[in-house]
Amino acid sequence: MASEKRGDLGSVLVIGGNGFLGHHIVNQALSSWNCSAVASVDLRCTRNINDRASYHECDITDAAKLTEILNKIKPDVVIHTASPVASGDSKTAHDLFRKVNVGGTQAVIEACQNSGVKALVYTSSASVISDNENDLYNADEDWPVIRGAQQKEYYSETKAAAEELVIKANRQEPSKLLTTSLRPAGIFGEGDVQTLAGFLRAYDNNKSHVQLGDNTNIFDFTYVGNVAHAHLLAARLLLATAASPMIPLSHERVDGEIFFVTNDSPVYFWDFARAVWRAAGSDKGTEGVWEISRGMSIVLGAASEAFFGLIGKPPTFTRLRAMVSTMTRYYNISKAKRVLRYEPLWTLQEGIDRGVGWFMEERKKDEAKKSQ
Amino acid sequence: MGAIYYLMHPRELRSIVQWKLWHEPVNRRDPKTESATLQECFRFLNMTSRSFSAVIQELNHELLVPVTLFYLVLRGLDTIEDDMTIPLSTKVPMLREFHVTMDQDGWQYHDSKEKDRELLEHFDCVITELKKLKKPYYDIIKDMTFKMGNGMADYAQNTEMIQNGVQTIEEYELYCHYVAGLVGEGLTRLLVASNLANPKLGERPELTESMGQFLQKTNIIRDIHEDWEDGRRWYPKEIWSKHVERWEDLFDPKYRTQAVECISDMVLDALKHVEDCLFYMAGMRDQSAFNFVAIPQAMAIATLELCFRNPAVLERNVKITKGDACQIMLESTQNLQVLCEVFRRYARRIQKKNDPRDPNFLAISARCAKIEQFIETLFPRQDPKKLSQEARAKQTQEPTMSTSETAIMIGVVLAVLLTMTGLMVGIAWFMGARFDNTFSDTAKLFSSSAGSAGSPTSITGRDEL
Repeated sequence: MASEKRGDLGSVLVIGGNGFLGHHIVNQALSSWNCSAVASVDLRCTRNINDRASYHECDITDAAKLTEILNKIKPDVVIHTASPVASGDSKTAHDLFRKVNVGGTQAVIEACQNSGVKALVYTSSASVISDNENDLYNADEDWPVIRGAQQKEYYSETKAAAEELVIKANRQEPSKLLTTSLRPAGIFGEGDVQTLAGFLRAYDNNKSHVQLGDNTNIFDFTYVGNVAHAHLLAARLLLATAASPMIPLSHERVDGEIFFVTNDSPVYFWDFARAVWRAAGSDKGTEGVWEISRGMSIVLGAASEAFFGLIGKPPTFTRLRAMVSTMTRYYNISKAKRVLRYEPLWTLQEGIDRGVGWFMEERKKDEAKKSQ
Repeated sequence: MGAIYYLMHPRELRSIVQWKLWHEPVNRRDPKTESATLQECFRFLNMTSRSFSAVIQELNHELLVPVTLFYLVLRGLDTIEDDMTIPLSTKVPMLREFHVTMDQDGWQYHDSKEKDRELLEHFDCVITELKKLKKPYYDIIKDMTFKMGNGMADYAQNTEMIQNGVQTIEEYELYCHYVAGLVGEGLTRLLVASNLANPKLGERPELTESMGQFLQKTNIIRDIHEDWEDGRRWYPKEIWSKHVERWEDLFDPKYRTQAVECISDMVLDALKHVEDCLFYMAGMRDQSAFNFVAIPQAMAIATLELCFRNPAVLERNVKITKGDACQIMLESTQNLQVLCEVFRRYARRIQKKNDPRDPNFLAISARCAKIEQFIETLFPRQDPKKLSQEARAKQTQEPTMSTSETAIMIGVVLAVLLTMTGLMVGIAWFMGARFDNTFSDTAKLFSSSAGSAGSPTSITGRDEL
């Protein structure tokens, strides 16, 4: 791999480069691309370190400090992946989402514009077109973004707001900054604290025999390495555009555009869960699976919310989770394949093997620590 | 299958009755206008083909005779190829020269021992009729005969493959190309030449190829047991060696799990052609042409579903039931959308049977979902323009809960309320409460409070009563 590099990226700065997606981008940029330097800006730079990258601690909502760092590093391209974990429905969680996703992104844009960065790639989310209630069949970039009262997930609302800022900042005179936004769906892999962690928790709690809905609902899950790859492809193409005196034709344009990114391999929701459990050591088939209908799941979700509301604890199961695991939500990524020339580098199965393998390793390390 | 089976499966019986009673052929042959030799050709068609004779005879009159004769020429080649009593030194030149033979008036062959030998014994009838064809159709048949004859001769001489079986997936697909892909090529050229299909299909040979591959691979998967008994082996080693060490192990009950997983692997490989096949069939411009190509394809996906995770495939020849076959024929003689629903239904059945312990579990699931996704691109159920309009309309409205959610919430609240009321009234009654005065008291309360609204004295006044 090391001998065949995919292209030149110059100096790359990954915001959130110590996070789940961010550190995969840092690693891939260093292993598969020609970069003069790779840096990360993160709230805390203690985990997911790559020896060949430089690390800078900074809260991105601190615009002054961020600009200072950018002026020092002078990156050609900034890849902005930083975002809080998308869970929690409390006032504090909402405030955090708005502050980091919208305020932080605004600060990143301004810092890029003020320090002469050529290209900004933003990590949005495929959930910005979902209202978590209605199914999405083969949705592409023409689908409307769900905003305001229709958007029941405040996290998605803030991601959509930030994406809008990023796209507006494309070629915003007098700055020459080029921007693009990627919308990955259901990211999983090594270092994942949501998708795989959730399925593995269900497995550890012996919930793997329960199935909500009839499992005809198709869903997109995307291996994090593929998402990282798409970001670097977009960065490369933005830099190429920046180097060219002409604005590209609309059908091959990357700047000012939005792209869905998936594994191009939607699957039935519970089949993905079973493949994860299988990788974690399950030897169960599908006989004896307890199927709870979609309607019943939603009623149970409501009951659980009411119950935990009474005892004043965050609910372990909610209507939203019941709906998300029984709804159809998959995307058509023809645009990314055509314009970014994106093709997934890892299949779903390879992604699961890597991701679950990482979890198993971490557990072994934890156990070793405990026994010491 | 007896009457009892259909008593247990009335839906299948219904499909059979429906097909027999209501299926109206798009076109019918008219034997009165046919020459004696042509009638003889149709007799051979009925004799040699169970599955294709009916659909061929319903074809548009423009192609009825060309396709029939094309089929008979290929059947003639096939009979020579399959006949193990003909020595290789005779067989190979016969196969390679068959495109010349089909020009020789009065040619007959009497040395075959195959069950379809009668066709070769009276092959002069076919030759007579071939000469009456329009030139473009005749040329296509001749060209395809040349290609197929040479392909078959190559395989007949390939002792390495006959002894050791097919090795790689590439070899496997090349074999399928010679026995089915070329037939598909010939048919596409006839369909395009007669304008019964979109001429664009001529520019997309990979679609035609997939049509043949899908049918041939399905046959190979299904016939594993029969071929094993006859000493033939078409499953490529590249696939089966992932599951068992020796070919014979597939038929050893000890390795049943591995054998079933090997079949899954083969089914997964065959399913990769489905999107191309659906796309190809979208190019048909004539109902009879559509039926002609759609019925075998729909039967193939149903057969794959039948073979998938079915250990019986290793022990005997499995077949779709007559009821299912009639149901499929009903649905594949209408339009592409109905046909797509057949494909979706069988894809979902395969997905439902899929086992998480199968090494290809997730790949199979993804393949089935991919078929559904492709059908979605042909017949999208969501229109982004309409969705955008709706979203804009909603944006201006008051945020409300959806009606179904509201109904559920109201239902839950009411149910809880009624249960609790019942319980409390019950307990009160059990403890000796009297309800006979309740209503009059309540009435009094309301009338008095209404009389002097806002005055606290009225309430204290009541307490004093």
